[in-house]
Parts: sequence; C-alpha cells; structure tokens
Amino acid sequence: MANNPMQQFIVHKIGPEIKIAGIDLSFTNASLFMVISTSIILLFLFFGTKEKKIIPDKIQLVAEMFYSFVAKMINDTAGSKAKPYFPFIFSLFMFVLFCNMIGMLPYSFTVTSHIIVTLILALFIFIAVTIIGFAKHGFKYLSIFVPSGVPAVLLPLITIIEIISYLSRPVSLSVRLFANMMAGHTMLKVFGGFVISLGILGGWLPLGFSVALTGLEILVAFLQAYVFAILTCIYLNDALNLHH
Amino acid sequence: MTIPEDFKTRLKIAKSKIEKEVQSDSEKRGSFMGSAFKLGTELVASVAVGTIIGFILDTWFDTKPWLIIIFFFLGAAAGMLNVIRTANRMQKKE
Repeated sequence: MANNPMQQFIVHKIGPEIKIAGIDLSFTNASLFMVISTSIILLFLFFGTKEKKIIPDKIQLVAEMFYSFVAKMINDTAGSKAKPYFPFIFSLFMFVLFCNMIGMLPYSFTVTSHIIVTLILALFIFIAVTIIGFAKHGFKYLSIFVPSGVPAVLLPLITIIEIISYLSRPVSLSVRLFANMMAGHTMLKVFGGFVISLGILGGWLPLGFSVALTGLEILVAFLQAYVFAILTCIYLNDALNLHH
Repeated sequence: MTIPEDFKTRLKIAKSKIEKEVQSDSEKRGSFMGSAFKLGTELVASVAVGTIIGFILDTWFDTKPWLIIIFFFLGAAAGMLNVIRTANRMQKKE
C-alpha cells in the first residue's frame, strides 16, 4: 500500500475496455465490489430463508431480524400505506449497508465513498418520490410547497424556501453518505500511516486510535445505511400522506 | 406446517415484551443518533442548493450578483427550516 491516504479511492479497470456508443462501460473495481456485495446479500438471504423453521437457526434469525427491522422502520415513519414500497427500501438498505460493511475489510473498495454512486441512488429516490407524489395526488402535490397558516405577505418567500428545501433533499442525502464514508476511510488510512512513520517507539498511540476508529467506522457504516433508508421513508411519507 | 397452540401464545407474549423493550431503549437511541448525524449536512446542503439556484438564475437574467446573494440567504433559511423540522420530529418520537 502506498502512503497516499486517497489511493484507496482510485477506480481502475479490471479486464478489457468496453465502449458502447462512446460511453465507457468497462468493468472496474467499483463494479466488482458492487457485484460482491450484491451476491453476498443474495446468498445470505437465500440461505436465511431456505429452511423456514419455527425455531430459526442463526442465519435465519439474522435474516428475519433485518426483515423486521426494515418493516418496523417503514411502518413507524411512513405508515401502512408505504407497505408496497417495502421491497425497494429493503434492497436499498441492504445494498448500502453491505457496501459500507465490505468497505471496512482491509484491501477492499468502498463503493459508497464515491459521490456519483450515492448521488445516483439519491436522485433515483428523489425522482421516484416526486413521481409517486404526483401520481397519487395530481397537482395537489404542489401544496407541500405551501404550508398552511402562513400570512399572505410571507407566502411567496416561504414557497421559495420550501422549494429550495425540497430540492436540497437529494444533495443532503447523497453528500451525507459519501462524506461520512470517505472521511472515515481517509482518517483510518492517515492513522495507519502514522503507525508506520512513528515506528516501534511512537507507533502504539496511533495504533490504538486506529483500533478505536475502526469500531467507530463500523457504527457509522451501519448508521449511515439506516439514515439513508429512514430518510427515504420520510420522503415517501411526505408523498403518500399529504399534509404537515 | 402446523404450529402448536401453546407455542403461539408463548410467541405472542414474547413479541409484546420485545416490542416494549426495543421501543424504550436501543432503537430510540439509534434513531436519535441517526437524526443527529443528519442535522449537519441538512444545513449545508440547503445553502449550497440555494446558492446554485441563485447562480443559475443570475446567468439567465444577467443580474449578477444580486440573485446569488438573495438565494444564499434563502438557502440558509431553508436549512434552518429543515433542522427545525428534524428537531420537531425527534421531539415527537420521545
């Protein structure tokens, strides 16, 4: 490993270059780790639900825990109307969680530390929620920009502010996940570099920090996946149940 | 697959117990922590989006630099609004 703490974020091609209609579609290490995390999720859920025992074994227990965790989260934040969107939110949560967690392994690549990945996820959610809102309520959906009980003088100002706040959703959603993952991983590498450069005498302190930070990063990895999913639920709730 | 009656009642009792415990402790802390992590970016993102909108409108209407200034402050206001909303939501859950 090189000394550069940003080295870990470099995307490089694996295998031949594939170009379709001028767009570079080569298989990269980012794609590889997306495939790895997706296959781990699929395998885990396949074995978790293969034998449906009344008294579950360990892997079934974990799979059921994930299921009830997400189901409860959706029910608490968006109500029963959001039940049809369970598969999407569950896949989203699992994908972000496993990408984050696999990024914690040494020599691996953190897919979610690239803003393009998180931005596409967030934009997809944003556009989907907007379409759902318009499909369910028609032009009445625009009333989320006009809060009730505001004096008429302030109404244009408040509406502009509401529109900005609505448009900032995908930005804050994507930047939060990307910034947390990138900052955490950079910090881990920087402290790792300190261990080497301080040698056997002074290296113990940053080594201890590294261990503690790894624990913190695992917490952040889980928490960011959770926040990502719960915000999707909140946005969905705004689109489904139209009022403030 | 048949489930014995005795097991069903035991399951029901266990479920209600779990719900109470989870509600009161770990889950609440988790969601609060999630919201706390949320607040910072919420504030910044709105300011950024407001400024970008101001910049785009400025180039459209050729009114540099007025709209960018106005929309910067509107973005800051939107950020505050978002933070207050999140805080209210946290309080409601309590």
